[in-house]
Amino acid sequence: MSPGGGATNGDALLEVRDLRMHFPIRRGVFRRLTGWVRAVDGVTFSIREGETLGLVGESGCGKSTTGRCILRVYAPSAGEIVYRGANGKAVDLASIDESALRPFRREIRMVFQDPYSSLNPRMTLLDIVGEPLKVHRIASGRQLEERVAWLLRRVGLRPEYMRRYPHAFSGGERQRVGIARALALEPRLVVADEAVSALDVSVRAQILNLLQDLQREFNLTYLFIAHDLSVVEYLCDRVAVMYVGKLVEVASTAELYARPKHPYTEALLSAVPKPDPRLRSRGRRIILQGEVADPANPPPGCAFHTRCLYATDRCRTEEPALRDVGGGHLAACHYAEELGLRGAEPVSQDGSATFSLT
Amino acid sequence: MASRLLLEVKGLRTHFFTDEGVVKAVDGVDFEIERGQTVCVVGESGCGKSVTARSILQIVDPPCRVVAGHVLLHRNADDTLDLAALNPRGKQIRAIRGKDIGMIFQEPMTSLSPVHTIGDQISEVIRLHFRGTPQQARERTVELLRRVGIPRPEQRIDTYPFQLSGGMRQRAMIAMGLACGPSLLIADEPTTALDVTTQAQILDLISQLQQELGMAVLLITHDLGVVAEMADHVVVMYLGTVAERGDVDAIFHAPKHPYTQALLRSIPKVGVGVRERLATIRGSVPPPFARPTGCTFHPRCERAMAGRCDKVVPARVPIGPANEVRCLLYGEGETE
Repeated sequence: MSPGGGATNGDALLEVRDLRMHFPIRRGVFRRLTGWVRAVDGVTFSIREGETLGLVGESGCGKSTTGRCILRVYAPSAGEIVYRGANGKAVDLASIDESALRPFRREIRMVFQDPYSSLNPRMTLLDIVGEPLKVHRIASGRQLEERVAWLLRRVGLRPEYMRRYPHAFSGGERQRVGIARALALEPRLVVADEAVSALDVSVRAQILNLLQDLQREFNLTYLFIAHDLSVVEYLCDRVAVMYVGKLVEVASTAELYARPKHPYTEALLSAVPKPDPRLRSRGRRIILQGEVADPANPPPGCAFHTRCLYATDRCRTEEPALRDVGGGHLAACHYAEELGLRGAEPVSQDGSATFSLT
Repeated sequence: MASRLLLEVKGLRTHFFTDEGVVKAVDGVDFEIERGQTVCVVGESGCGKSVTARSILQIVDPPCRVVAGHVLLHRNADDTLDLAALNPRGKQIRAIRGKDIGMIFQEPMTSLSPVHTIGDQISEVIRLHFRGTPQQARERTVELLRRVGIPRPEQRIDTYPFQLSGGMRQRAMIAMGLACGPSLLIADEPTTALDVTTQAQILDLISQLQQELGMAVLLITHDLGVVAEMADHVVVMYLGTVAERGDVDAIFHAPKHPYTQALLRSIPKVGVGVRERLATIRGSVPPPFARPTGCTFHPRCERAMAGRCDKVVPARVPIGPANEVRCLLYGEGETE
């Protein structure tokens, strides 16, 4: 497996090329167009079959919008989303119309963040998980129930519960229902948007393990959108870091965490609180000044220059391109090679791992 | 009584009296806070950590009520007050809220008034507790906003919460909590709604202000990373009781309670590199009406002893000077 990855390769399941999603800003009585929010502004990446790509960034960076464009919840303003279907044919999802899209809605599914608001409280588990099967006319009646029971069992729920309503279940169980629903149509690509963010620590681990088991069992490909870097490291093969609508770095997980090449990635890694008091990083931690730039009015040059510790005049005027800085590691920084940035500090194996139950 | 002690919570019980029955949100919580110390209360949703924090100031709304226990505030050597015994609507407790004990909440958008400027809201606290002219209160507010790192405070003082970003709103909230120089700041999930880089800013700000002002901080959080970063002393809660408490190093490096051990094993850690399977805790937190008998953790515990943990309520067992654990592996049941 080669690290990194903007390269066009034959085994890419999904290739996103120069994707743009601009939302109009309208003001006043006449809804006059006064500007554009550049939520996603030229994003290019690919996902290989069977791989998990993590898409990380802070709120408002456009990571969820990217996911929604792939599902065609939004019609992208520009760019291509080339998906290689089960029949081997490549299709640009960004340009085809709603009716042509229908077969692909079976193959690309989504798991949502909030297990409370994403399930209809008036539908039983049977309705919720069975709905996609009905809509796509795959199963009905007795067969549908059997299929739903099987799915519930696969995600670790008891099939006897299929006539109950979501309120009877805890957050973790609801998230399992959401996953069962996403899997109902035997998808090939699953977009998980902050799928574990709303869950408690003890339950989050269960769901992460479940996602991994299901990936192995059904040969799933994941686009895992998250803000939590520790979860992303655990689950993903490669990671793409997003800032104000653009990718700033893409690399294999181990490479990105050990040797980040973009100052923003370095700051993100250093901001994650480490669960070990002996690694208390006060002072050594990089505290970014200021706030995320406004995607409706991004700064000139590199969008990160306003908060970057290493910014020079060049950064204020010239926008860096996302380029290969060695071994397939992509970074959008003029000084990626020179900076020598600090990676995630390893949590000592003899530190917090000393205790055990034996 | 040592004069270092600032707040003592003893046998606190706060229950919700709902139509469906009594929910024992907090059911016997004991801990202490020393002057200038940071104490973190950590636990999963429904463990009663927020209700504990609110019970200290008696800002729990009906049908919720503090039913037993003491909250002793030692203002100085010979001035001790039991906050739990005060009338929740009385003058005495209102003189303490915001003055001796400040509080900041999780979501500043919902806990700040949307129709008042942040300046009005902060100076209101100042004018409630100190006499002075509106002009003096305003000057102090500007000073506070500057102190919490809000740029151009002279202008920002007249903005409404919706005009500020999440991080700036939380800074304004902290300014309000600090307005009267409290000896204890209660922070209920102050960074949960924020991004990691903003979280780092806010945590840094809190510990920096703490050093300057010498106040104690009671930090309520579910994030063990935040605990490791901030705490001197940790209180681990599960279903309304304290499973274990102790100094931060002991909690992370020599946890005693099976729940603490399991929690620590179930978090993915940045920078470990090897992707081993995460350890999990089986099941999930039980619903509030179905509290297990005996030790509340026993249905999920890997070391539960059949016939014992499901029947006997464990007592507090002291481990070292400041640490204690509530588990039958280390001691006997409660003798009540």
